[in-house]
Amino acid sequence: MYRIEARNLTKTFKTHKSRPGLLGALRDLFTRQYTTITAVNGIDLLVEEGEMVGYIGANGAGKSTTIKMLTGILMPTAGFLRVNGMDPHRERERFVRTIGVVFGQRSQLWWDLAVQESFRLLQHVYRVPDDVYRRHMGYVIEVLDIGDLLDRPVRKLSLGQRMRCELAAAFVHNPPLLFLDEPTIGLDVLIKMKVREFLREMNRTYGTTILLTTHDLSDIEALCSRVVMLDKGRILYDGSLEELRRRWAEEKRVVVEFARPVPVEDLNRHTADLPVTWEQEHPYRSRAVLHQGDGALVSSLLARLQTYPVTDVRVEETSTEEIVSRIYAEGMARA
Amino acid sequence: MWRLLSLFWVYLAQYLKARMAYRYDFLVQGLTDVVWQLVNLVFILVVFTHVPTLGGWSRDEILFIYGYFLVPYGIFACLFNLWDFQERYILRGEIDRVLTRPIHSLAQVCLENLDPEALFGVVTGLIIMGYAGYRLGLDLTWYDPLVFLLLVVGSVLVYAGIYVAIAAIGFFADAKTGIAPMVWNLQNYGRYPVDIYNRLIRIVLTWILPFAYVGLYPSSYFLGRETYYVYAAATPVVGAVVFALGLWAWNAGVRRYRGVGS
Repeated sequence: MYRIEARNLTKTFKTHKSRPGLLGALRDLFTRQYTTITAVNGIDLLVEEGEMVGYIGANGAGKSTTIKMLTGILMPTAGFLRVNGMDPHRERERFVRTIGVVFGQRSQLWWDLAVQESFRLLQHVYRVPDDVYRRHMGYVIEVLDIGDLLDRPVRKLSLGQRMRCELAAAFVHNPPLLFLDEPTIGLDVLIKMKVREFLREMNRTYGTTILLTTHDLSDIEALCSRVVMLDKGRILYDGSLEELRRRWAEEKRVVVEFARPVPVEDLNRHTADLPVTWEQEHPYRSRAVLHQGDGALVSSLLARLQTYPVTDVRVEETSTEEIVSRIYAEGMARA
Repeated sequence: MWRLLSLFWVYLAQYLKARMAYRYDFLVQGLTDVVWQLVNLVFILVVFTHVPTLGGWSRDEILFIYGYFLVPYGIFACLFNLWDFQERYILRGEIDRVLTRPIHSLAQVCLENLDPEALFGVVTGLIIMGYAGYRLGLDLTWYDPLVFLLLVVGSVLVYAGIYVAIAAIGFFADAKTGIAPMVWNLQNYGRYPVDIYNRLIRIVLTWILPFAYVGLYPSSYFLGRETYYVYAAATPVVGAVVFALGLWAWNAGVRRYRGVGS
């Protein structure tokens, strides 16, 4: 069974345009002009049990709208959608028992209550039996290391502390499917690592399927075997992170520094039979652009440089961050 | 239903626990309500120092209606504290969280906003009714308390239905609407006998925004005003219908909900 099965999922919004000026406002009163915005445009998404999927895209790409449809908050305009075998919006009350939701910018906890009391309330809301709750939550609290925070009111927690409590709250009913919207936004590196470690642990122990949106690609590098990239409401890429890098990564570059000035013409002559072009940065440093991605090329290149006094070699690779921001910028053009 | 009731107690206990931290606040809030009710009471008393009767209704009868009104009103205000629903839940997006929990969204919003201080008004209302009833020499039969309960439930549902429907407008509108204050002004008319108003207001209060069912009509059963017996008997039915309409509007709103921001 698929945890998430979406086919041709679409969401459009109708908004009325307001015309400028007082006269325009007056005319709006009588005849309204509507524009239709397609936030999610016929996406297909299949997620299997136990997968950890990163859902990325620039602001306004349709990530949140998709998540809101998958969690039953919004009703899709068109398309087929089954999550945990149910129609999220129509069977909402039954459906939401089987999912956990964490919105990084919105709290699930009661502001004035101690953390523990919030958990207890959720226990009642989800009707979790006492013994199950104690065993399971004891484990969750231990992994997240929030035992000391339980008696404190939520409003007195720092962001990092609160976020860990939010995650614990989403696991009160131990859902098989978890949605995370920007779970690490604003957190420091240590807390981020703790959060990721926790998610991996839950995935390992309970086989929890996780779909997360993030702007921090290191989250995805640390957690997700699969990444789905959205642009203007359409899926631009769906596959592994490595494949994404391979497909979009630019040529590798090798920066070489010399003890004495070396003219770039000499270098080009020496490596004429290799798929390499040299660029000079300054007399002591040149950069080789490798037009072919395999590792052996680097060693052949270095072998050619034996006659030169090389002081330093650095291999430059494009980071995922750079790749992704370039894809955002280029959009569908290269897809 | 039982499930909601059990959740009600859990939420109430939590609410009180949180409130205990601000004991002083709790007291002040309760006191403010009582003072507000006393002001209304004084207003009625002052009016009657100038006129002996109001459209054929004596001071004590009007007091009785006011006392009755306070009872369903207090219960309503405790349970359906929806004043800033649009602001808090729609514009700030809190409804998203509500919609990801396995309880009806309206029940959750109500539970999250319980306002037990409003129940002070119920006590005030009962005292005023007792006083006015005593002065009028009203007799009570054994089933009158049961009738009272039934009528109060009906009245609470009338209020709830109207305000749930108004809150539901929040799902459709992008910006704040001025409908709630308008209705709020109108509801106060329900505490006085409708036959002192002109026909239009009477029709509105009976058929359109039936606030007369939260004061005059049910009270007239106890006051022995036989002209209104039919309306008094209809109170629970009107309550059920109005609440059903309110709930329908709410559910339609949830279906139409489009979310804020990205």
